Amino acid sequence: MKILTTVKKVVDVELNIQVKEGKIVQDGLQYVMNAWDENAVEATVQLKENNGAETTLVCMGDSESTLMIRKAYAMGIENGIHVDDPLLESADSNGYAKVLKKIYENGDYDLIITGKQAQDTDNGHTGIMLAEYLDIPCVSNVVAIEVVDESQLAVSRIGDSGTEIINVNLPALLTVSDSINEPRLPALRGIMMAKKKAIETKTLADLELTLEQIDMQPVRTEILEYQAPSVRQAGKKFEGDAAEITAKVVQLLSNEAKVI
Amino acid sequence: MTKILVVADIKQNALKKGTLELISKARTLSENVAVVAIGNHIEGLIPELAQAGTDTQYLANDNKLEMFSASSYANCVIQAVKQYQAEQVWFAFSESSKATAPRVAARFKSACATEITDISIENGKVIVNRPAIAGKVYQKIQFNTSPAVVIVRAGAFDIDGEYSGTENIHNLEIPETDLRAVIQKIIQDAGEEIDLADADIVVSVGRGVKDQTGVDLVKALAKDLKAGFGSSRAMVDAGVMPHNSQVGQTGKIVSPTLYFAIGISGAIQHVAGMNGAKVIVAVNKDSEAPIFNVADYGIVGDLFEVVPILRDEIKKVRN
Ligand SMILES: Cc1cc2nc3c(=O)[nH]c(=O)nc-3n(C[C@H](O)[C@H](O)[C@H](O)COP(=O)(O)OP(=O)(O)OC[C@H]3O[C@@H](n4cnc5c(N)ncnc54)[C@H](O)[C@@H]3O)c2cc1C
Ligand SMILES: Nc1ncnc2c1ncn2[C@@H]1O[C@H](COP(=O)(O)O)[C@@H](O)[C@H]1O
Repeated sequence: MKILTTVKKVVDVELNIQVKEGKIVQDGLQYVMNAWDENAVEATVQLKENNGAETTLVCMGDSESTLMIRKAYAMGIENGIHVDDPLLESADSNGYAKVLKKIYENGDYDLIITGKQAQDTDNGHTGIMLAEYLDIPCVSNVVAIEVVDESQLAVSRIGDSGTEIINVNLPALLTVSDSINEPRLPALRGIMMAKKKAIETKTLADLELTLEQIDMQPVRTEILEYQAPSVRQAGKKFEGDAAEITAKVVQLLSNEAKVI
Repeated sequence: MTKILVVADIKQNALKKGTLELISKARTLSENVAVVAIGNHIEGLIPELAQAGTDTQYLANDNKLEMFSASSYANCVIQAVKQYQAEQVWFAFSESSKATAPRVAARFKSACATEITDISIENGKVIVNRPAIAGKVYQKIQFNTSPAVVIVRAGAFDIDGEYSGTENIHNLEIPETDLRAVIQKIIQDAGEEIDLADADIVVSVGRGVKDQTGVDLVKALAKDLKAGFGSSRAMVDAGVMPHNSQVGQTGKIVSPTLYFAIGISGAIQHVAGMNGAKVIVAVNKDSEAPIFNVADYGIVGDLFEVVPILRDEIKKVRN
């Protein structure tokens, strides 16, 4: 089985993020591998270990994205493609999906695994749109993958009424939930080896893609501006005798907030 | 005037509240509001959908559509978009919507925006607002293509009973099942009586409740309040609470009037799912727990001691 896995470099959501004049303040931001993509990498490496697979990773982003690829190498991915092109800076999920389409077509992949969503966009569009453009079956929000045979997987996804068990023919695309696995911490040996491994770097021109072909001219959606959310203020916090403070809070819920 | 197609959110053959919110909001933007309803034995919902403010109803009603399938559902929505020539397609927030909407957008060479909290038309372009980066920022996004496909965050819009429409039913072709991805079975989650997304009060448990005994203790509070019963991811991962109870970035987004976080630390991924609540109450034994940064009322204490007192005190003020 040949697997293509996607990984995005995203801003670390645990840190403070400021908005000024409609833009995100870049100073002090740090970047990490998208959490759901760590799950995608782990799922891929598990398939490789348990069933045998050839693994390739693709990451579209600036030069720092190579760190994400090296991390994935250290976790057990074999090949890495870095699409580095400043023209992609304002790409939306559509644009990325169209570049991935080309990457997929250049290889001979049986399976694509993407994260359920990117932590910076919180979209969850790229994988599903990619499958649609490739006209291959897609299962999103996957929490378990089992290989039935060379041409079929049995996957579980969390749907609205419970866990759906789906048989899906290859080639297919899966987007994985964070509940699917616990991403491994790379061992030191893996980290050392990952530093030396080659990364294939491509521009849009290398991929023979024009901005029209990847829906960026015109771009389908534009972010006009960023806004700071209205932050909740910490309210009243009560410490002390449990009976006393609990009664006090219930009084406030009734008289002040008027919600019970 | 812009033509809006609302995709009805139907669970167990009943219409979810979100659909009515969407139709109400759509009517404030346009007189042309249609709805598409997909499922099995759902013809009975048509009067309610008309009453809510739609004048055209597309119906895909067949036992092949009993179980959710993203490709079949997308196929039905696509047919309705074409017939109605919709310029906007609105989904209510659910896992099914998240799986279907991007397909519909891709098929029309258009785009999709998820979890929007507002929508308007400026200079002929559809503009939406939505949170991103786990709710740390909001984005104002413009669509340059049509139809604009959106998924609306639960509770973003109010239901007003001001509009009513007429019945005008169009039956859609029932799509063939996509044999490349076939559902073998669904392991149903324990059905809670009160759906989280619709609930006016939500009580959620976190790792602090430890096990089933703790869950039962807090569930009694939820019962007293006729509240939806939610969970942090930690309790879902531990196998104690069902998947469909998870509140947060990977789970459900809830915006009730009152939210109780019991034994939940307040990780941003959890908070992203509940910070739209009007009033938040937190019970946590750690006075430094981040949940207190968003709680309107914080009780620092042992939940096993506090919850029974909460129940008693609430009963007292309610009588
Ligand atoms: C990509 C990603 C997506 C995620 N999505 C979600 C999501 O959708 N929803 C979600 O909830 N999480 C999500 N998480 C996980 C999240 O980061 C936290 O790990 C999780 O919310 C923690 O759950 P918790 O608060 O129950 O547990 P903990 O963080 O362990 O907190 C337990 C709390 O209980 C308190 N406590 C313990 N005993 C008692 C007692 N006797 N009385 C009172 N208080 C007590 C402790 O002080 C502590 O604050 C996600 C994480 C990632 C990386
Ligand atoms: N620039 C990118 N490079 C590699 N993968 C990406 C990129 N953007 C999105 N993806 C993949 O698509 C998933 C969903 O992204 P999104 O649609 O932005 O939520 C992510 O989890 C990634 O796996």
